[in-house]
Amino acid sequence: MSNAYVVRFSLSQRVEHFVTMVVFTLLCLTGLPQKFFDTGWAAGLVSFFGGIDSTRWIHRVCGIVLALSTVVHFANGIHTMLSKKVGFTMVPTRKDFEDAILQLRYYLGMTDKHPQYDRYDYKQKFEYWGLVAGNIIMVATGFILFFPTETAAFLPGQVIPAAKMAHSNEGLMAFLVITIWHIFNAHLNPDVFPFDGSMFTGKISRERMQHEHPLELARIEGRPVGDGHGGTGPGHGSERDVG
Amino acid sequence: MMRSSVPLLLVLLAAPAWAGIPADDEEGDCLGCHSDPDQSVDLPSGERLPLYVDREVFAKSVHGEALRCTECHSDKTGDHATGEVPFKTRRDVTRAYYEQCKGCHFANYTKTLDGVHFAVMAKGNEKAALCVDCHGAHDISRPGQPRTRISRMCSRCHSAEADVYGKSVHGRAAENTSDVPVCTDCHRAHDIADPRDGALAMRTPEICGRCHTDEKLMGRYGLSTNVVDSYLADFHGMSASFQKGLRREGGRRLAAVCTDCHGVHDIQKADDPNSSVMASNLQRTCQKCHPGASETFPKAWLSHYEPSAEKAPLVWMVKLFYMVFIPFMVGGLTLQIALHLWRVVVNR
Repeated sequence: MSNAYVVRFSLSQRVEHFVTMVVFTLLCLTGLPQKFFDTGWAAGLVSFFGGIDSTRWIHRVCGIVLALSTVVHFANGIHTMLSKKVGFTMVPTRKDFEDAILQLRYYLGMTDKHPQYDRYDYKQKFEYWGLVAGNIIMVATGFILFFPTETAAFLPGQVIPAAKMAHSNEGLMAFLVITIWHIFNAHLNPDVFPFDGSMFTGKISRERMQHEHPLELARIEGRPVGDGHGGTGPGHGSERDVG
Repeated sequence: MMRSSVPLLLVLLAAPAWAGIPADDEEGDCLGCHSDPDQSVDLPSGERLPLYVDREVFAKSVHGEALRCTECHSDKTGDHATGEVPFKTRRDVTRAYYEQCKGCHFANYTKTLDGVHFAVMAKGNEKAALCVDCHGAHDISRPGQPRTRISRMCSRCHSAEADVYGKSVHGRAAENTSDVPVCTDCHRAHDIADPRDGALAMRTPEICGRCHTDEKLMGRYGLSTNVVDSYLADFHGMSASFQKGLRREGGRRLAAVCTDCHGVHDIQKADDPNSSVMASNLQRTCQKCHPGASETFPKAWLSHYEPSAEKAPLVWMVKLFYMVFIPFMVGGLTLQIALHLWRVVVNR
């Protein structure tokens, strides 16, 4: 094959991911101690950030950056779609549900057919939409907590503790999903261990494309895409077919 | 200057060899002069310093059987009446003798060095309370008997605060029960913190909590013991936990603590129309820190209630949702990871 690499992510996508990663980490470091305020590690983190007031300001600034990056992301996405360059590859389709079922059957050993994925597999779409929904909840409730008196001027007062409850729990869930799910898929998954660098370099090896996103690779290389249920592709941890 | 100095001199002349006062009859010897109710000294300030000691009062005091005169008045010898009076004011006399207490009461004396009275005295305030100002001198009795005597003692200087306290829920009940706090229960006795910088206020969740989390005590009045936990679970309590020990300096704002909403000396029952936390007064109370707080703003605070279907349905539903959703989501993802790894192992 002529290409050892395929460009998977554009520069702006990589920058977006990097910003989200840094801001998300800071939000966790400044937010979780507020939820678990009675623990020793929380007190340590808060004093590391210079006390509760500066911890909150860091949290708010990061929250605003996250809100802006979400807006920029959707503006970009809509612009790209309107200019008809590409379709919105993140939209869940019927195939994603079929893939998920096939994938689970594969894990359970009920079949040796492995789903053939396009640009994004169902797990990536799930995480993406989880992040989008989470961002919307966190930004909305975050602003309510940032401006409680202004909120109560046109909404019932009880919205504020409800927002706090949602912000606190949604934040914890985001932290758990990212540390468990994202860290597994991007780092600990035996297929990419120890580190999937494609989101930072933008490049992915053709071999991994063939393994993880064969349908997109076929489209890129002008081959027939098929129905995606071929099932002859390599399964997890098996010998890879070197392309 | 000496008024009844003639009999005194006669006594001195009768016993010219006295170097000290014999311990066996010291009291009698001192009272030989100091039992005259009219005996006094005019000080340069124009004040009159009474020299009379009531034998009966001293005998009934805590020290009546334990101490001799010279154990506190250690500089006094039999001929002290002839010397110059080294004091300009009555306050000078008090200040000269209060340090005598530390010989026996060293622990409490040391505590006063951390107290606000010592701090303002060090800055030159002569009125700052010394041991004898609160405890008395020849008439010292056990403190806190009755407990209301403590508040009365403080009120001699802090009358404005005492008046307000006397009308509060605690002050009104203090006459009839020892369940309620008197001044020293919150302010402490010897190492009294300066209440002006907010450091004492930041300790109120702990100070108020000492009584208000006591099941037995609160049970007598039908009061909830969940007030501290519910406070801590809220935004103010969480913030205050991180601000423990901070002072209100350099424009720093500290989170609202018990006293910011309930009042300090003027605390009333929550259903008292004068209470700052009475529903109809709450908006004004919130506005102290949240200018522009609307009529519905106080509902942001759940009044020490746990969110429930009745008290705060919206908050309760959000809580319930996440109680189900977080384990479902995290459990589901973890299960899928486990299955994934299992298949990897099977494939090998």
